[in-house]
Amino acid sequence: EEEPEENQFYMKDLPKHACSYCGIHDPACVVYCNASKKWFCNGRGNTSGSHIINHLVRAKTKEVTLHRDGPLGETVLECYNCGCRNVFLLGFIPAKAESVVVLLCRHPCANLSNLKDMNWDPSQWLPLINDRSFLSWLVKVPSEQEQLRGRQITAQQINKLEELWKDNPDAKLEDLERTGLDEEPTQVQLRYDDAYQYQNIFGPLVKLEADYDKRLKESQTQDNIVVRWDVGLNKKRIAYFCLSKANDEMKLMHGDELKLRYVGELQKPWSGVGHVIKIPDNHSDEIAIELKSNAGVPETCTHNFMLDFVWKSTSFDRMQSALKTFAVDETSVWGYIYHKLLGHEVEDIALKCTLPKRFSAPGLPELNHSQVYAVKTVLQRPLSLIQGPPGTGKTVTSATIVYHMVKQNNGAVLVCAPSNIAVDQLTEKIHKTGLKVVRLCAKSREAIDSPVSFLALHNQIRSMDSVPELNKLQQLKDETGELSSGDEKRYRSLKKQCEKELLQAADVICCTCVGAGDPRLAKLQFSSVLIDESTQATEPECMIPVILGCRQLILVGDHCQLGPVVMCKKAARAGLSQSLFERLVVLGIRPIRLQVQYRMHPALSSFPSNIFYEGSLQNGVTAADRTRSGLDFPWPQPDKPMFFYSTFGTEEISSSGTSYLNRTEAANIEKLATRLLRAGVKPEQIGIITPYEGQRAYQVQHMQYNGSLNKKLYMEIEVASVDAFQGREKDFILLSCVRSNEHQGIGFLNDPRRLNVALTRARYGVIIVGNPKILSRQTLWCHLLTNYREQKVLVEGPLSSLKECFVSISKPRKLVN
Amino acid sequence: DEEAEVKVTKLKPVASKEDEDFMAALDLMMNETIQARTQESLKVPQLDIALPTQLKNKTKKIGAGAPATPNLLEKGAEDEERGESGLKFLLMTRRGNKQQLTNFEIPMTAEFATKFKEREQAERIE
Ligand SMILES: [Zn+2]
Ligand SMILES: [Zn+2]
Ligand SMILES: [Zn+2]
Repeated sequence: EEEPEENQFYMKDLPKHACSYCGIHDPACVVYCNASKKWFCNGRGNTSGSHIINHLVRAKTKEVTLHRDGPLGETVLECYNCGCRNVFLLGFIPAKAESVVVLLCRHPCANLSNLKDMNWDPSQWLPLINDRSFLSWLVKVPSEQEQLRGRQITAQQINKLEELWKDNPDAKLEDLERTGLDEEPTQVQLRYDDAYQYQNIFGPLVKLEADYDKRLKESQTQDNIVVRWDVGLNKKRIAYFCLSKANDEMKLMHGDELKLRYVGELQKPWSGVGHVIKIPDNHSDEIAIELKSNAGVPETCTHNFMLDFVWKSTSFDRMQSALKTFAVDETSVWGYIYHKLLGHEVEDIALKCTLPKRFSAPGLPELNHSQVYAVKTVLQRPLSLIQGPPGTGKTVTSATIVYHMVKQNNGAVLVCAPSNIAVDQLTEKIHKTGLKVVRLCAKSREAIDSPVSFLALHNQIRSMDSVPELNKLQQLKDETGELSSGDEKRYRSLKKQCEKELLQAADVICCTCVGAGDPRLAKLQFSSVLIDESTQATEPECMIPVILGCRQLILVGDHCQLGPVVMCKKAARAGLSQSLFERLVVLGIRPIRLQVQYRMHPALSSFPSNIFYEGSLQNGVTAADRTRSGLDFPWPQPDKPMFFYSTFGTEEISSSGTSYLNRTEAANIEKLATRLLRAGVKPEQIGIITPYEGQRAYQVQHMQYNGSLNKKLYMEIEVASVDAFQGREKDFILLSCVRSNEHQGIGFLNDPRRLNVALTRARYGVIIVGNPKILSRQTLWCHLLTNYREQKVLVEGPLSSLKECFVSISKPRKLVN
Repeated sequence: DEEAEVKVTKLKPVASKEDEDFMAALDLMMNETIQARTQESLKVPQLDIALPTQLKNKTKKIGAGAPATPNLLEKGAEDEERGESGLKFLLMTRRGNKQQLTNFEIPMTAEFATKFKEREQAERIE
């Protein structure tokens, strides 16, 4: 309903007088080529002549115009005597006795014999073009810093561009690199010459992903939808329904938009758009959407509905816009950060800051030594990476850093993360320190409840007492659902003003990375930016908060856990699935690693620590801390709450056709869960990880219908993918590896980072169920199985009498990172 | 600290065939233009570049500021004739039949400015 704002979203553009080669646009530094009608600067970049001279020579033209705001204003470059305007001929001579100069052409005017008699000194004639650039008093030479900040164009590119202009005068440098439709896109790089090259590489990848997403979502139209109607607390109509295809491909998320259409005969045709407010979970496979408008909803009809996905380009538009701003607006990111992000060699700079006496923040737990070290170091640096392995207190550390950054008084801090859950978690912690926090939500997500709803901008506005008129209009709108157009206008302007006030008064603004591109933040500048879970965001996504004036950037994450989700394989292959954090690590920026983990029983942390963190994880909890006393459970080794349960079932393709089902494994998982429940473990303390949506749905059903305990108990057990468990923990984790097909690989669990996440979710115990023979073909799994065998926790047989499993597994090969 | 200087390791000029071609083409273009000029029989007006009247008889130098009005010329003080980094000059151009003067500054490092200073020094010694 309030989308027009987004459509007017501001896309940065270079001014007309920007250098057609490098984009530099200081009026004092540019000249207009009269023949080609383009501007060029007087900087030479990495070529041996300035850009304007390069152009004049290659285009064989000779006349130029200065910029009206340049050092000489609207002066016309012509011979004082004959009016000749060929810049290759023009020069100047000074008067003999005065500080006056005059422009004269080299021949014939500067050679005329009577010049000497007239107070001028022809022997002093000097050309306007010297050392392959214009004299700097005529056209300023951009500073080295400016030139390094501009687009780095090579002589080869200049040549090609000039060739291109002969056919197409409007061609741009990026047209040189434009790839055909079926060509592979250009690979991401480690270093970039400039932000233009950066944009030229990432722009097409974002487009590929956007096109893929659009095609996928729009192909999901489904018919024969049966609807159950309900009314929400806000009086809006809610439609509940199930999809025949599983949610595998559609990957519906809260806030997505769906269009429901009535195509039956009982009523006239109707269609309405709504936001997803519920997705399939343990309780039901139903999806719920809250309709935007109650008008004409066919509440008496339940059958004959169709469903379309309403694809939105917002997030992709914001990434493209950020890439562009990064390239053309030199105020978008401070020079140091700019060059660092592009992988240039920059001398280190320490930030002046008053280090706090106490590093722990009010309302938050005391920090350990590695956390204090992280906080202290980060505060003094313009760019830092913090690596937080599982359970090491990443969120508390981030919140503490934010607290101290605010106390440094450099203005509001922008805090982002790729997912809403991560933003909410961090928002909650920062709020505890007593800072003024505003959580900015996408308008489509305002209906979704969260633990920090009261901090959301749209809710803080409701509790503002200062503008009674707004409250009144809001009440009216809530009650009647609609306002008269006059009232609506007044309501919107009041709301906008209050939003602005709240945002300006905030110490911290929290939103998703994409949310940082919200038009409501467009006019604000944030010199300090912290991005949590940054290893799960693509680079262009990370850039959205960065280009809001960043001078201090902190990226928090763990590149040894899951990376960003990129659906388009082409874009993923070209490197879009590598996070900025990871690239900076490869560039040699050492992340500060948090080293004490407080989550896992020491027996559970040792394998992940050795394999993924060079054995550096220390345990902040003891075995006793993580042992449930009196738990009657058949651990094969009493001091090690873990085992690999061998199963040799076969898999089949699920009804949706994409996933792999394994009934034996589901049955085994159910038995293990039942055993844990019987021993007194609460269902919400158990998490079941399955790699595929098909297996998830099957597992949920199987437990509820075949489990020997009350159905309700099983409903409370969370069953989800590894990805859904990232960033979270459970007391006990049951990991179903499913794929046991002889011919195909082990697919999903091939990714070491995914295995790392799966193994590090549990606090008290982990049980892996799978086929050891097949899994051991993969190097990493082979190490895990060998390790488990050495510890005598690779077992098989009935739960009541587990015994060691001696199936042969391959010898582990050396791991190479 | 707000404007702490960012020191980037400078990108070196990249030698390439295209760049060498450019340098050669520039030299060629310069030569050809001049040659064409010398061979043409040009009808140029009779040289008439008189110094503006307000400058005549003024031994004082010109101060900084926007359009150089006679008024402004009066108050040229010693520290004003040299900007922070260069020499202040007036560029004389023609607009229609009128002379026009525009202030500008030649950086001290420029060859011309250095020469100018030397000359000035020499004159002073004389
Ligand atoms: Zn340029
Ligand atoms: Zn002339
Ligand atoms: Zn740079």
